[in-house]
Amino acid sequence: MSVYAMVKEKSLTEAVKTALTRLLSQDLVDAVLVAAKSPYSALPMPTLVAEASAMDGIDPLAPAAPFNAARQAATVSRQATGKRLALVLRPCEIRALIELVKLNQCTLENVVIIGIECLGRMENEVFLNHAAVHADMAAEFQKNTSLQDDITRTCKMCEQFTPTHADIVMSTLGAPENAVLFASGTETGEALLKELGLPTAENPAGSETVTRQLLEKRAACKKEVFAETSEKINSIEKFEQMIATCLNCYNCRQACPVCYCRECVFLTDVFAARPEALLRRAQKRGAVKLPTDTTMFHLTRLSHIAHSCVGCGQCSSVCPSNIPVADIFTTVAAQVQARYDYVPGRDVGEPIPYLMFEEKQKSGESK
Amino acid sequence: MVKSMSDFQPKIIALVCNWCTYTAADLAGTSRLGYPANIRMVRMMCTGMIDPKYILKAFLDGADGVFIGGCHPGDCHYINGNLKFRKRMPGMETIIKQFGFDENRLRLRWIGASEGPEFQHHITDFIQTIQEMGPSPAQGLMVL
Ligand code: SF4
Ligand code: SF4
Ligand code: FES
Repeated sequence: MSVYAMVKEKSLTEAVKTALTRLLSQDLVDAVLVAAKSPYSALPMPTLVAEASAMDGIDPLAPAAPFNAARQAATVSRQATGKRLALVLRPCEIRALIELVKLNQCTLENVVIIGIECLGRMENEVFLNHAAVHADMAAEFQKNTSLQDDITRTCKMCEQFTPTHADIVMSTLGAPENAVLFASGTETGEALLKELGLPTAENPAGSETVTRQLLEKRAACKKEVFAETSEKINSIEKFEQMIATCLNCYNCRQACPVCYCRECVFLTDVFAARPEALLRRAQKRGAVKLPTDTTMFHLTRLSHIAHSCVGCGQCSSVCPSNIPVADIFTTVAAQVQARYDYVPGRDVGEPIPYLMFEEKQKSGESK
Repeated sequence: MVKSMSDFQPKIIALVCNWCTYTAADLAGTSRLGYPANIRMVRMMCTGMIDPKYILKAFLDGADGVFIGGCHPGDCHYINGNLKFRKRMPGMETIIKQFGFDENRLRLRWIGASEGPEFQHHITDFIQTIQEMGPSPAQGLMVL
């Protein structure tokens, strides 16, 4: 059974601040990684807060996430430091972090995960336009349904808005105005909630209905995007049309939290074509577009990470050519993940399919 | 002019393990076991080192089929490279299929070093399958 606590303040963000500040002031953790705005922009960035007095700018419920913060989370948890960290993350960020743990790129030792039940994020520009009008975007987003329609295309099809692997789940679904609900997800979370001494609460009665309705809406949208995309890329010629404006800038790779290589092969000599090789290719085919290997780049990335794609949509968000990269990746990823019966981020104990192989079936067929 | 089916000479890339299939191919050669000359063989140290991008590169550069030959389970020189590669197959099939390549254009078979006749059989059979399928959809296409 989960333990519930509810914090109600003048505003939602104040309520979150109350809870997170206590984590620091009661010495329950040494630092909190949380989205916070800087003095220079309303756009919240992953921020490592070590002093209770520095909690002012935090804004984890604002509908913006310029990064999938799994990368930043993995940076601060790369190796155990003996310090205890709280990571406040969205569900897609937690799922990506779990994949990075499986790849030994970070550790959950001495880490507390506080997962946000997520209503989605907006593209940066959309968010900033709204933020120019509304000072408190977290609050406005909760009550203004037209703002909720302005979330990214990928968020609109996300069914996994309830965090997995969270020690504590932070939610506003079904909660009263200006109140945030905290529910324990693990024993660690339960102990922590008790130590925090926040007012206990019940799970709000309406929350399940709200969740179910949202799920149905998201599932319908996902079905549509998958059907549409799968049709658009069902031949290599159509796929070329989709990526014809790709600049090989590799932003999509940079933004992807599960593109795990420390050094990407596309930046190595393997793909640094020498002049004579380029000429040979041009002679063989009549002409060759530069930079080369655009299709190779996308298909290689797919073959390397489709099983771990968490559907965060960041690859689409950063594309200067407005290529719907995430539509392509999530559509293919869903098929690959189904084939391996694998869900990234579902369980830290569930190994990545390619890292596991079956000894059984010793002889006979090769499939 | 449209080429008739029988004019179609499939281009097959075979990624084969040095310790088994490559030796079997050699044996087939010295035993005068013939097979069509459609395959371009690439010798690998183990199927375990076959990165998905080798397969993708072959298809995008116009291969009509990609054949992979490795050691029987239990015989891999690196203990389990073949099993690791086998685990990559479903993912590769899913991906190439989504982009319009018949998944049967990619085939994995275990062929031991002494299995010259098996090599001949598997290669002939694969070439025939591809022959029936016709050219790869990437043939003649400008691939960016
Ligand atoms: S491929 Fe795109 S949607 Fe998938 S995890 Fe990477 S950035 Fe997110
Ligand atoms: S971000 Fe867009 S333009 Fe840049 S490499 Fe990715 S798909 Fe191509
Ligand atoms: S050595 Fe032949 S497949 Fe590994």
